[in-house]
Amino acid sequence: MSPPRSKIELLVRGQDGDGFETRRVESSAAYLQLRPQRIPPEQCEIAQLPSGVRRVPTWVLKNRTTERYIMLTEPEKFLWEQMDGKTSLQEMGTAYVLRYGAFDFDVIPALIAKLRRAGFLTMRPSSRLREALAKHRRNPAARAAESTLRAIERLTVASRKAHGKFELVYRSGGFLLFSPIAVLALAVVTVLGARGAVELWNDSGTISASLAQHPVVAILLVKVFFWLTVISHQIIHALALVHYRRRVREFGFTMLHGFIPTFYADVTDIFMGTRRARIVSSVSGPLVHLFLGMLYFWIASLLAPGLLKAFLAATAILQIQSLFVSLYPFCFLEMDGYHVLVDLLGMPTLNHDAVAFVRHELWDRIRTGTMLNRQELIYVAYVVLSAVSIAAFVYLNVVLITHAGGS
Amino acid sequence: MATAADIAFLRTVLLFKEISEPDLHALWPWLREKRLRAGEVLFRDGDVGSEMFLVRSGTIVISKPVTGRVEQVLKRIGPGDFFGEMSLFDNLPRSATIQAETASLLLSLNGEDVDRLMQASPRAASHFFHRLVQEFIRRLRDTTDLVAEVTRWGLESTGLDVEQSSAGER
Repeated sequence: MSPPRSKIELLVRGQDGDGFETRRVESSAAYLQLRPQRIPPEQCEIAQLPSGVRRVPTWVLKNRTTERYIMLTEPEKFLWEQMDGKTSLQEMGTAYVLRYGAFDFDVIPALIAKLRRAGFLTMRPSSRLREALAKHRRNPAARAAESTLRAIERLTVASRKAHGKFELVYRSGGFLLFSPIAVLALAVVTVLGARGAVELWNDSGTISASLAQHPVVAILLVKVFFWLTVISHQIIHALALVHYRRRVREFGFTMLHGFIPTFYADVTDIFMGTRRARIVSSVSGPLVHLFLGMLYFWIASLLAPGLLKAFLAATAILQIQSLFVSLYPFCFLEMDGYHVLVDLLGMPTLNHDAVAFVRHELWDRIRTGTMLNRQELIYVAYVVLSAVSIAAFVYLNVVLITHAGGS
Repeated sequence: MATAADIAFLRTVLLFKEISEPDLHALWPWLREKRLRAGEVLFRDGDVGSEMFLVRSGTIVISKPVTGRVEQVLKRIGPGDFFGEMSLFDNLPRSATIQAETASLLLSLNGEDVDRLMQASPRAASHFFHRLVQEFIRRLRDTTDLVAEVTRWGLESTGLDVEQSSAGER
């Protein structure tokens, strides 16, 4: 019998340096957060072998530096493509379940061992900026930048005990958000807000003039107020998990990519729920923006001209934009709508795979006149729709600004 | 003046197990009480200090800084245990951070007190140092075990199969 998994006990001090809490961390918990990084594309190549008698697709992976070859099955190739240094083993497991409908716990460790032996994994920093800084550590400026980035990344406040609090919120009335009452309230506010938005549109000249009188205050107020509503988006996601009896593994605040302040809720446990649960969980967050946006439009339409009216109108526009960006799946961002789409398509790595296909394979296929299969057509459609959507989004914003400026 | 409960407590401390009762009565007035609130830090890794402490009540966590606000818990000790004894001899900065997990009552003893014990009762001091050496050896063994355990944790958390890797390299 193998020995139990090793545990170490860690003490984490509070921000003020006074209080502390201790946690026993099992090695398996750290293993799930491992982010394997494959060697750079120029150092390896992959080729599909002709199907054998069993008609099971197989790939051969070559390490150009060591001249070593290993065979990959289709699931192994799928996992290999996830090993970008950013995806944790836990996320890979989730993607695997979504793609294959089942998960064999031995597949990932066995593949990692195979790849390590053949030198296909590296410890290269995942961020290109971090990689560049690491290369130039002799330079004091690079060293300072690296230290700054590290310090900023530590600005993370997270709680792994948030689930109990969300359960309490849910029991204390949060459950109403997932009842017909909430749907009715949303519908009423949406109708009132839409009517208000039409009235405000006709009065946009006065509104933009009010904003123009206090431009700095207006921009700061709108941005800060909007940023604060992001937390409600994440709270609703977390409550949706409680509603479907799944666990909120973590809730917190972090500096995304080192410079975007954001709140987050770890909702990965919803993958163990039904498809309906996953879709409701994904859609519930963006609906907060619809509710708030329409509410602000409605209130703004009732107010007399002035900074408050203009502020509410501008905030409402931002909320509606957020609703659109969150729900619209074709924008290269893996937001809530994207997760619904990939769930429906059964293609959990659509964004990554589609971009890779268009960048590296599509032009060869067009040149050689090879027909695209259904999956490749979806890849192309996703990239085209995303590119067109982003262009349209930018154009729409320019028109809005021009309209407001011209009025 | 030591009460029967005080002497009974000293008897639970490994260092004083073999010391006679009159010597314990003589030693008691030299011990100074120190109370800690839950979460309070007594001293930090790197601080200067020259006292050892006995835990009369409560739970004490001994930790070593690892990164940022994270520290590794080396040991959790309770009534009858002691810590900080290294500073009686080496005069070097503290090697770990000590904090109270629950409200705690400590008794402190410094180098001068130990010198006084040696002069007042060489026999009692001999028992004290004998037990101290035994404790040092036990802690050294514990540290060796901890190093092995942390190495095992590291191997398991990275999934590194050293046996397979070595076989593959041969």
